[in-house]
Amino acid sequence: MYILQALDIHKSFKKTEVLKGITLQLAKGEVLAIIGPSGSGKSTLLRCLNRLETIDSGVIEIDGEIMVRNDPKGRAVYSSEKDIARIRRKMGMVFQNFNLFPHKSVLENLMLAPMLVQRLDAVQAKERALVLLEKVGLSDKVNNYPFELSGGQQQRVAIARALAMNPDIMCFDEPTSALDPELTGEVLNVMKDLAADKMTMIVVTHEIGFAREVADRVIFMDDGLIVEQGTAEDVLLNPQHERTKTFLSTVLMAR
Amino acid sequence: MEYILSLLPTMLGGTVVTLKLFAFTLVMALPIGVVFAIARLSSLRFLNYFMQFYIWVFRGTPLLLQLLFIYYGLGIVGIKIDRFTAAVLSFVLNYSAYLAEIYRAGIQSIDRGQSEAADVLGLTRFQTMTRIILPQMFKRVLPPISNEVINLIKDTALVYAIGMSELLRVAKTASVRDFSFIPFFTAALFYLLMIGLVQQFFKWLEAKYDYYR
Ligand SMILES: Nc1ncnc2c1ncn2[C@@H]1O[C@H](COP(=O)(O)OP(=O)(O)O)[C@@H](O)[C@H]1O
Ligand SMILES: [Mg+2]
Repeated sequence: MYILQALDIHKSFKKTEVLKGITLQLAKGEVLAIIGPSGSGKSTLLRCLNRLETIDSGVIEIDGEIMVRNDPKGRAVYSSEKDIARIRRKMGMVFQNFNLFPHKSVLENLMLAPMLVQRLDAVQAKERALVLLEKVGLSDKVNNYPFELSGGQQQRVAIARALAMNPDIMCFDEPTSALDPELTGEVLNVMKDLAADKMTMIVVTHEIGFAREVADRVIFMDDGLIVEQGTAEDVLLNPQHERTKTFLSTVLMAR
Repeated sequence: MEYILSLLPTMLGGTVVTLKLFAFTLVMALPIGVVFAIARLSSLRFLNYFMQFYIWVFRGTPLLLQLLFIYYGLGIVGIKIDRFTAAVLSFVLNYSAYLAEIYRAGIQSIDRGQSEAADVLGLTRFQTMTRIILPQMFKRVLPPISNEVINLIKDTALVYAIGMSELLRVAKTASVRDFSFIPFFTAALFYLLMIGLVQQFFKWLEAKYDYYR
């Protein structure tokens, strides 16, 4: 039983095809790492999964509910806005650039969506927010504003903000790429804790060490296609394809 | 000095007219400009093009012409409105166009990541606009908005053209009558005082919004 299925996803920007038929399944509690050179379509794939981008053809099913499928001519048809809104709520997203709301305090960043979307009252929302901030180790920053935090702290707030909506799946798009190297550890540790709690996760990352340690499965993407996938060990230690090998050696060299 | 004091009652009367026009215009044009800016950015073709046309017309012709057109022009086709209503109407229509362009630039300057983050959290487009985009936009547009507000104070002088006794006209009448430059000098002080207050107010607003970056 898969919590997320994507079948034969195609996506073009103008004339260039960026996703050329991506199929992936995700089991509940699984941690999937997506690696690949920049420009290979990793971000686009994540963005298609939670409909920040619309796909041209393919099927996306989340927790047994169809978000988009093909019509008889093979063109993507999305479900009703209402259904999509409900389905998307099962997915949390963490961006490379955090995208915290700068005019809101850390606490307000976490309380906003639960109050507006899930109609929690302020007391419940605050309670939930404080638990999550404790979990990401930022109980002392509750009343600070994002600009007063380090990049690592901001990203941890962003993770907590996504968790505040109780998602079933968490998507991360290169969550540590915008951080100074000495700050990546604190973010990766929060993500490791999440994985240990059996959160279902899709992580686009260049952190090969993290992928090896945490991911159940690794996908290597290049040029809009999945070139290779398997257990973290298979893909990262025993890559079968030339392109995977080349990529891994360049990434590891850069370390 | 005594002469200046003797001018004060009529000068103050003119200032009240000026301030009333100023206040009415702002209270309406500031929010209408937001609506226009959002319409201008709408993906609905019709709305978008209509706003582009509107902004082109009202920024592309002199405010004085718009004022004369609305007061005298409408009179010719039989629509009678009083002077003050005509003045407010033309000022609101004109300033909404300018403000809409400022707001639009402000909205577009907000990083797309902000609305994407709100979107994946499940906020509706309306919630995203009112809770995330607009509050950040207002902070950014304060400097250009304060410029427009200062321009507005000075533009109110245009209504002398439809025979309203605002500050400048009162000064001119007194100057011609008494053959003195002092009325103009006094009027200048009144304008400077009003604009000084506006500047202080915007300084205060900017400080208030300084709690985040
Ligand atoms: N909004 C967009 N408009 C046009 N081209 C885009 C857009 N987003 C991404 N692309 C292109 O799609 C390709 C894949 O981009 P992306 O998914 O960001 O790759 P990755 O995340 O693997 O680096 C790139 O060639 C990129 O230039
Ligand atoms: Mg990317």
